[in-house]
Amino acid sequence: MDVRTHMSMIFHLDKCIGCHTCSVACKNLWTDRKGAEYMWWNNVETRPGTGYPTQWENQEHFRGGWEKKKGKLDLKLHSRLEGIFKLFYNPSLPDLRDYYEPFTFDYQNLFNSPKKNVQPIAEPISMITGDPIDIETGPNWDDDLGGSNIYAKNDLNLEGLPQEVREQMNELERLVFNYLPRICNHCLNPACVAACPSGAIYKRDEDGVVLVNENDCRAWRMCVAACPYKKVYYNWNTGKSEKCILCFPRMETGQAPACAHSCVGRIRYMGVLLYDADQIPKAAEVSDDELIAAHREMILDPFDPKVIAAAKENGIGDDWIESAQNSPAYKFVKEWEIALPLHPEFRTMVMMYYIPPLSPVVSVTEKSLFRLDLMQEDYDFELFDRLDAARLPIKYLANLFSAGDEGIIRTVLRKLLAVRIYMRRKTVHGKVDSVSRKTLAEAGLTEEQAIDMYKMTTLPTMEERFVFPNYHREMSIEAMLDPLTHKGEVGLGYIQQPKRGE
Amino acid sequence: MKIRPKIWNSFGGRSFVILLLCVFFLLLGGCQTSAEPASQASGAGQDLFESNCMSCHTIGAGALVGPDLEGVLERRDREWLAEFIRVPDQIILSGDPIAMEMLAEFNNVEMPNLGLSESDVEALLVFLESSGDIELVAEAPLPPGDIYRGEAIFAGGNALEKGGTPCIACHSVDNIGFLSGGVLGPDLTKVYTRYGEAGLAAAIKNIAFPTMRDVYVEKDLSDQEVADLLAYFADVDTGGKEDTASGASTIFWGVGLLGAAALFGFMLLFWSQQKESLSDRLRKDAGITSRRHS
Repeated sequence: MDVRTHMSMIFHLDKCIGCHTCSVACKNLWTDRKGAEYMWWNNVETRPGTGYPTQWENQEHFRGGWEKKKGKLDLKLHSRLEGIFKLFYNPSLPDLRDYYEPFTFDYQNLFNSPKKNVQPIAEPISMITGDPIDIETGPNWDDDLGGSNIYAKNDLNLEGLPQEVREQMNELERLVFNYLPRICNHCLNPACVAACPSGAIYKRDEDGVVLVNENDCRAWRMCVAACPYKKVYYNWNTGKSEKCILCFPRMETGQAPACAHSCVGRIRYMGVLLYDADQIPKAAEVSDDELIAAHREMILDPFDPKVIAAAKENGIGDDWIESAQNSPAYKFVKEWEIALPLHPEFRTMVMMYYIPPLSPVVSVTEKSLFRLDLMQEDYDFELFDRLDAARLPIKYLANLFSAGDEGIIRTVLRKLLAVRIYMRRKTVHGKVDSVSRKTLAEAGLTEEQAIDMYKMTTLPTMEERFVFPNYHREMSIEAMLDPLTHKGEVGLGYIQQPKRGE
Repeated sequence: MKIRPKIWNSFGGRSFVILLLCVFFLLLGGCQTSAEPASQASGAGQDLFESNCMSCHTIGAGALVGPDLEGVLERRDREWLAEFIRVPDQIILSGDPIAMEMLAEFNNVEMPNLGLSESDVEALLVFLESSGDIELVAEAPLPPGDIYRGEAIFAGGNALEKGGTPCIACHSVDNIGFLSGGVLGPDLTKVYTRYGEAGLAAAIKNIAFPTMRDVYVEKDLSDQEVADLLAYFADVDTGGKEDTASGASTIFWGVGLLGAAALFGFMLLFWSQQKESLSDRLRKDAGITSRRHS
């Protein structure tokens, strides 16, 4: 057992309202620079939809992630030999049109326009060329566009759904969408690291953050193509690749990453996970239907004395172990088993997890509105027993979060619904009846667990949502350099400017 | 979504075309090496004279490639001389009457710009003024030369003793090697007539041309090698035609450009099959014509 620590984020999709505050916080903090205009280290996608960059999940086109070749896990992008031939021309890269051409508006024209017979307008201008452009797409172009026949219809996760269901999802009164915020998944088996010819990308030991060393990056851009989530971006100004850094400077000082901190729906949780590095190769190579189970097995129980002993042997401090025991990530992923990795079939072993959303069903209780084909008697149970009637098809969620395994999604949704039913009885009806207890038991939860889940979902404090251990940066820094090197400096801007070719 | 195998879409096909292009441009680039201009070592006038002037000039031993410099300061105005030593190419270009007269007298061999600084020139002038008192070492006579060895040295078949670059890398003579040699330096077919035996020997032995000096620093030719080269130059001088290399380089450029055009033409066949942006494709499939790219 090789115990290591990882900072993991949980996205509770039921709570996401799609406001993009996370994206804006991230943009303001990290990518509001020349060459980074088009980058959204954090973006929020409307699902069903094609996301950003458009159809990033299409690995036949972008060739990201891993695949099993002759029983061995290999980059989907290329073998080593192919990599050499493709060094100077990598055909699997997304181009700027796949992202979007970043734009702003000529607001000055509103003030400075000469007198005309028509109102002056703020013309859109490209942030790259500075010329006026016709905006054709954007990072959230299909925002709230459930049922759009360009974007929603081309969501690859609709694969495997019966044709009539797909058509239903495009009908005006039946269309449905939810939101999917995405950041770098800081994978345990990162394809970007594996593909980098310069060895410039690495995974930090203490918290697993995957970083690009801008000094070593030589702009081969293999990482951009190899990342199946398209979360490494190429900065055309500095000639270096960049990616989400999980706001490590904030985490090191005990603050949540900007996206998580600013989240108005409080959908994000962060905490330490202990995992067994020895199990990574095995867990990445199992067949599709075993992926989630193997992934969960790799996450270790921080209360297990054997795990604690092995962790200490690996030099993990007491405060990190304690932090792992208090971690909301551990509760969601392992204890309650309701948080799932996004597209585990890419086999990069992601360490950011999603709690799949319950469908928006409440509106159907109004009689005048279109009512789904549900049982009339007791709407509490209408979905619990008939998950197939959910407006978001189970298969769709399974394609997103469990490599197509509907059983896993059903289990998770039943747990979520059971807690909802149980707590509604308790708070609205004033007493818990035997039926709701039975529902809980059927979903595989105890009453304490249900109450814990309810509290962690609805009433958590900041300290409960974000559990950060002390990073002891002063100790790591002392080992490398004089800790007072940058004393008195403002801490803004570059210590060393990234320079093309260096 | 299925990807049809096409040559241009397969990594091999695309890489092959790009590799071909790379090799082509590398070859093209390899023919055009350039040397950095020499940086001047300052020193006493005599050192400067020995390293820069002696290959073409004598003091009191008669004209070589250039005039005998004995008493030159009595013949010429000091300021003019200083300027001429510093930037002879510009003076010749400006059509200075004295320079033109000398150019005609010395077989149209221009004195090269040696890149001397003003202080170097001053040191040289001081040396020339006092040169009556100084004895210069007399050159030993050269051994007999062999035409074939000379040709081999020129073409690089025989390596130079101290590892210097063979002449053909930069110079051409009539009918030698592939494309008659390089075009960076001047054509040497008629160099024997232009410089004369003694002048040419001195020029090769004691290289003063700024471009060549750096290449042959500490790699000077032995007396035997100089003699062989002289014999060879004397031989080509009698029968050869000048400037065959520039004709050859026209062919070279022609072939190169045609080859490039052929390669680009070949690439044009695949141009329309470039990978389409996914978002463009989605819009097109939905019947929305792009305003930018249509």
